[in-house]
Amino acid sequence: MTAARDEILQALRNNRPTPENHPLPPVATLGDLDASRERFITSLKILGGDVLEPVEGETLDQAILRRHPDAKVICSNVPEAKGTLPVEKVKTPQDAATIDVTVVRSPFGIAEMGSIFLSEAELPINSFAHLGQHIVVLLSVDQLTANMHTAYQERPEFKTANYGVLMSGPSATADIQGVLIRGAQGVRSLSVWFT
Amino acid sequence: MSNKPVNHAKAAEHFLEDAPHLQFHDERLWDMRQKRDAQMHILPEWQELREEASRIKEHTLSRLPEYLEQFETNAKKNGIHVHWARDGAEHNRIVGEILKAHNARNLIKSKSMVTEECDMRPYLAKQGVTVTETDLGERIQQLDDQLPSHIVVPAVHKLTADVAKIFAKDYHTDPNIRDPHLLAEAQRQAARPVILHADAGMTGGNFVVAETGTFVVCTNEGNADLSATVPNLHIATIGIERLVPRMADMGVFIRLLSRSALGSPITQYTTHFRGPQKGGEMHVVLVDNGRSARLGMEDFWTSLKCIRCGACMNTCPVYRRSGGLSYGAVYSGPIGAIIDPTFNERKYSTLPYASTLNGSCTNVCPVKINIHEQLYKWRRVLVQHHEMPFVKREIMHMAGKLMGQPKMYRAAIKATEVSLSTMPRFVLYNWLNPWGKHRENPHPVKQTFNDWYRKNRETAKPAAAPETKK
Ligand code: SF4
Repeated sequence: MTAARDEILQALRNNRPTPENHPLPPVATLGDLDASRERFITSLKILGGDVLEPVEGETLDQAILRRHPDAKVICSNVPEAKGTLPVEKVKTPQDAATIDVTVVRSPFGIAEMGSIFLSEAELPINSFAHLGQHIVVLLSVDQLTANMHTAYQERPEFKTANYGVLMSGPSATADIQGVLIRGAQGVRSLSVWFT
Repeated sequence: MSNKPVNHAKAAEHFLEDAPHLQFHDERLWDMRQKRDAQMHILPEWQELREEASRIKEHTLSRLPEYLEQFETNAKKNGIHVHWARDGAEHNRIVGEILKAHNARNLIKSKSMVTEECDMRPYLAKQGVTVTETDLGERIQQLDDQLPSHIVVPAVHKLTADVAKIFAKDYHTDPNIRDPHLLAEAQRQAARPVILHADAGMTGGNFVVAETGTFVVCTNEGNADLSATVPNLHIATIGIERLVPRMADMGVFIRLLSRSALGSPITQYTTHFRGPQKGGEMHVVLVDNGRSARLGMEDFWTSLKCIRCGACMNTCPVYRRSGGLSYGAVYSGPIGAIIDPTFNERKYSTLPYASTLNGSCTNVCPVKINIHEQLYKWRRVLVQHHEMPFVKREIMHMAGKLMGQPKMYRAAIKATEVSLSTMPRFVLYNWLNPWGKHRENPHPVKQTFNDWYRKNRETAKPAAAPETKK
């Protein structure tokens, strides 16, 4: 117990409006409840993400090289792709900085926003999702939820993960004269591979 | 720091002198406002969302002590160190001590308005800590030694050429670059090594969830994630009003925040921090700095509902034409004009006048703060506290007398109309009339409403009352 803590809480108790006049509204589930792949893709593209569509007979490794032909260091944390750098090599947060493409699996996506979720459960190290130049995300269509309300109500990860990020396309900025720029600080591109 | 009232009108005048900047500023912000409108029209449930957000926030504020305690208990359970700071000085001291305990000298920092409130950077500089802003707009402002001029887009008042000049000085890039992409790339390249060698990372917190002990950070650049995941020490500075009760409430706020701010459905990154990363350490500093006192102000406590989306700034005709820096305060625009006088009533006494009271801010606010009504109420409070500039006080005094006496008022209106059409310009456009400085006064009307009414209605019979069933 610190003096500051007690003083702040006491001041809030003295000053607050009457709690009985402000009941907590029930949890809301509003809006479009379409959880389709099509809706997800439309939203993803609005936010600058893209879908990596498979070509007949191609492996995921080949598809990644087709999308990123100049990539030298590809590091995969999923069995579906081999990559070029064994993920065990990524031990410190800084190690992820040399990677051109990181490959991960997301446990779920949100159709309304085109967002994918990543937590420490899917990443060898949390910086893995941000320090690489590009990211390829594996996502299963039956793990799509309709909108933000359903996501927060249905997905247990929000209550269990220590670090949980919703990524909706690549890093972006419009801070210089309003011009939209993708790849400001984190990944320059985000591609979703449906499985 | 000087306690002299901010001369908003004068500073705005300075901003108005530069036509290209003014025009861009106005158009860029209006564009954000229109994109927000487009998003609103896509969602039929928009008004319901606002209502829900407002009610959740009002509820939380009325039970803030309980929710803060709940957050603290849960956060501690997850391994987060929780600190409490009564004011800016206490906040800075706490942060300084955490950094010292880790011998941390390089801090990378994601945008946080609370640290601006606390004036943290100069304090840490004196302790030998280098603070580097990782948000592009905030970094531009840091290099230019200016406060952020907008809470969402801190460097919105600058053009590409301005940024090129600033970067040339610090990043040794070509001062004649006119492609924003090249400048953003220069920032990326300059920031990477700083991020990789940082000893500590700092973020703010947009929302705090009592139920789980989580805090949520929303950015488009992902710079908060870099600041929090690369160094092993993460400090988050958060205002105590940022609480929401349940994780399920986040849906309402995330759906409103970025749509209201920039007109994009969601920020590119929405990150939930519930505990330190493997091998890492996490601290949360809960900052009061006047908030608990504001909660006790009957007319102004609902301003604590603010989720800092900036929509009220984007829509405000005064803000768009005066620039955020002209407010001379950490918070600018309509919400700033409500919050700032609670920090210093004398210094920010002019800000509630930087509004046309057109109500546009209130209409766009995602948490339904009655912004323009609060601005009006502030004016009354300030008049009572005599914090009113002399000229305005005299004019209001005369106006009050006039309004109180219909006959005199009508005579005066007529006189004004006559003077507007006959007086030489120098009488109308002088220092007594700041409004006339940058705009034309209205065209005088040929006939006042009262004259028209007398002629057309007073003699006419009142309309027959509609029949009502008894
Ligand atoms: S007052 Fe309302 S509109 Fe203005 S920044 Fe706060 S939440 Fe947004």
